[in-house]
Amino acid sequence: MINFYSFKNKSYLISSILILSTIAIVFFKGLNLGIDFKGGLNFEIKTDLSKNQISQIFDDFDSSKEILIKKEIGSNVYTIRIESGDNNASLIEEIKIILNENANLEILLSEYIEPTFSDELIKNSIYALASSLFVIAFYVWIRFDWQFAASGIFALIHDVFIAIGFMSLFNIEFNLTMIAALLLIAGYSINDTIVLFDRLRSITSDENNKETFEFNVNNSIKLNLRRTILTSFTTVLALLCLVVLAPVNLTEMPIVFIFGVLIGTYSSIFLALGIVGDLNYEAVLKARDS
Amino acid sequence: MTIFKQWRLWFSLLLVMFCFYFIKPNFSDSPQDFKINFGLDIQGGYSYLLELNEEEYKQNLLIKISQALESSYDISSKIDEDFIYIPSNQNLEKLNNIIVQSLGLEIADQTSEGAFYNIITQYFNNSLSDMTLNAVEIVRSRIDFLGNKELSIQKIGLNKILLEIPGNLDNNVKEVISKTAKLTLHLEKNTFVNSKIFKNEETGEEIRVQEVPSLTGDYIQDASLQYNQNEPVVAFSFNKEGSDLFAQMTSDNVGVRFAIVLDGALITAPVIREAITGGSGQISGSFTNESANNLAIILKSGSLPTEITIIQEKQIGPTLGQEGVKKGVYASIIALIAITLFMIIYYKVSGLFTTFTIISCLALLFALMSLINTTLTLPGVIGIVLTIGMCVDANVLIFERIRENFKNNSENPKSEGFNAAYVTILDSNLTTLFAAVFLFAFGFGPIRGFSISLIIGILSSLIVTYIVLKLFINATPERLLGLKK
Repeated sequence: MINFYSFKNKSYLISSILILSTIAIVFFKGLNLGIDFKGGLNFEIKTDLSKNQISQIFDDFDSSKEILIKKEIGSNVYTIRIESGDNNASLIEEIKIILNENANLEILLSEYIEPTFSDELIKNSIYALASSLFVIAFYVWIRFDWQFAASGIFALIHDVFIAIGFMSLFNIEFNLTMIAALLLIAGYSINDTIVLFDRLRSITSDENNKETFEFNVNNSIKLNLRRTILTSFTTVLALLCLVVLAPVNLTEMPIVFIFGVLIGTYSSIFLALGIVGDLNYEAVLKARDS
Repeated sequence: MTIFKQWRLWFSLLLVMFCFYFIKPNFSDSPQDFKINFGLDIQGGYSYLLELNEEEYKQNLLIKISQALESSYDISSKIDEDFIYIPSNQNLEKLNNIIVQSLGLEIADQTSEGAFYNIITQYFNNSLSDMTLNAVEIVRSRIDFLGNKELSIQKIGLNKILLEIPGNLDNNVKEVISKTAKLTLHLEKNTFVNSKIFKNEETGEEIRVQEVPSLTGDYIQDASLQYNQNEPVVAFSFNKEGSDLFAQMTSDNVGVRFAIVLDGALITAPVIREAITGGSGQISGSFTNESANNLAIILKSGSLPTEITIIQEKQIGPTLGQEGVKKGVYASIIALIAITLFMIIYYKVSGLFTTFTIISCLALLFALMSLINTTLTLPGVIGIVLTIGMCVDANVLIFERIRENFKNNSENPKSEGFNAAYVTILDSNLTTLFAAVFLFAFGFGPIRGFSISLIIGILSSLIVTYIVLKLFINATPERLLGLKK
């Protein structure tokens, strides 16, 4: 039997490195904030023009404003992001006119968000994220012991945080949909972790079980290993279909989620039960036995 | 046959009927109560998030309170930023706590010379919220007058309005919703005291008039686009009170010019030729048909309580969503086939049960979505794909537990395995469910669309695994399940 529990110190090291790299990447590279969180204009156009030709369209446009043009993977759709000031909803019409003067394109989507409103959206998203984390911790704490709640929440934040680092590293746009993706990762991660917790709890609550804590942890992981692999596999399979076939503006979400599934599987196998052990759950069990 | 004694069988049949009943309306064209609506990102259309100016409203409210103090209690006061200042060198006997509270005020600071009051937050928020509801009706009637009936309009937060209109873009919408439409009539005044200059930006015309308007657009009852010598004009009529005021104003000032001002800009400044007693008049300016019609619409819908800002605007072409849905559906079908093939190869007969479970899960999900008239958005579609994943996970957990029980030679491997696994599934799914509920409560836009399908999806998955999957497992002899070595 593989001794998963003995890997815990190595995985602490790996996770520390991942967390520190995330901090470094986010600090130095920053997040590629979409207009949801930065305000501004966003256009999606379908055209056979090249990126250069598109940027030429904006040659005469206000040069003080930052304009980002990005080709969506595997399609002839481009995303154009333009900075704006407050109270500028009328810019949407101006830019549509500029774009339409060039007849060979179709505007699929145009969007404007007031910068002050995007500040509100940031607050709102943090609120939503924090409250759901709190609820998760509370539920796990009620159903299990606090060691599990602490470890589960740590694993979850670890996964979400590293996924943010992944987004920063690959310059993936951070927007409201990505908040949903992060929450998806949170949900998946806690799901995976709870299944293991549940196993450990049921194994250790058996009175005839005289094995060591380490053995019990390894046994819980081993008994669930097939399920963990199968579920991760089928989820990744479904997500791959989405990556290939998702609507152009949603391809990045499943990519981030696939990363989240992998990191979530890692954290529940190598991290979560290790932390429970280090929080001295053994003592709780011993106290219960006597 | 023992299978007919299983309550799960009858319940499954009920479930089938339930799904059929609620999914069916989605395929008919008739407007039905139980239907899934498609979000703008799927069917195309445009959405505006409007914000009413909170600061401006606060100032208006302060003025109103200050006027009430003056008229009802003979107390003079001054507005100082966000506060009402009441000097103490007057008779303040009437100003007891109950009155202060009923005016929505609370004391903020007191000196020997006077006291500063601010508006109680709760009172202000309620009042702001009421004002927004009122504005929702005004915006709704403006869009209705443009002839667009299929809109959805709702109040968001305290001072925001979300307007969603499916279909093609009507350029007038933006014009019509973003105007405050505060119409005022001012008499000309040639002295500098209490006077103000208004200017027409297009023609350059300027006029100095009394600062206080003689009449406001609040009295307007009806307005319409009409033609005067082939030129489009806006004809309007006042209500009874307005007619009287207008008659008085015009009869007292024959030969005087007056300014018609809209949202602080001069439209036109005609001369009063005679007393107008009929209570109607017309505004002529350099109008086009469209602009005259838009002005008529906003005049008859009434003015908005404050200035309005478009803080989010989305225009989604119809192709984007259709393409998205087509791809999303393909992705789901291919994912479904891939997963079920894999499950059948891996778990044999039990894998086939998974296929039925997933299909029932999706059916229940769509039925529930129709039942509560959910709006399905693209992030919602992703939520559904995740639901399939969770449903498969539940199946895998159950099968693995049963398989383990076979290996350990348990007494009742099927039902013990199912029950043990179901507790785990409940724990893990409920955590996600609670998180999703909070997401729905606090989230905005795509987050809400995603969380609602996640919530309904988790519930459906929990129900069908407990009923349909268990029915299949119970009804199948152990050796046929494909879980024994």
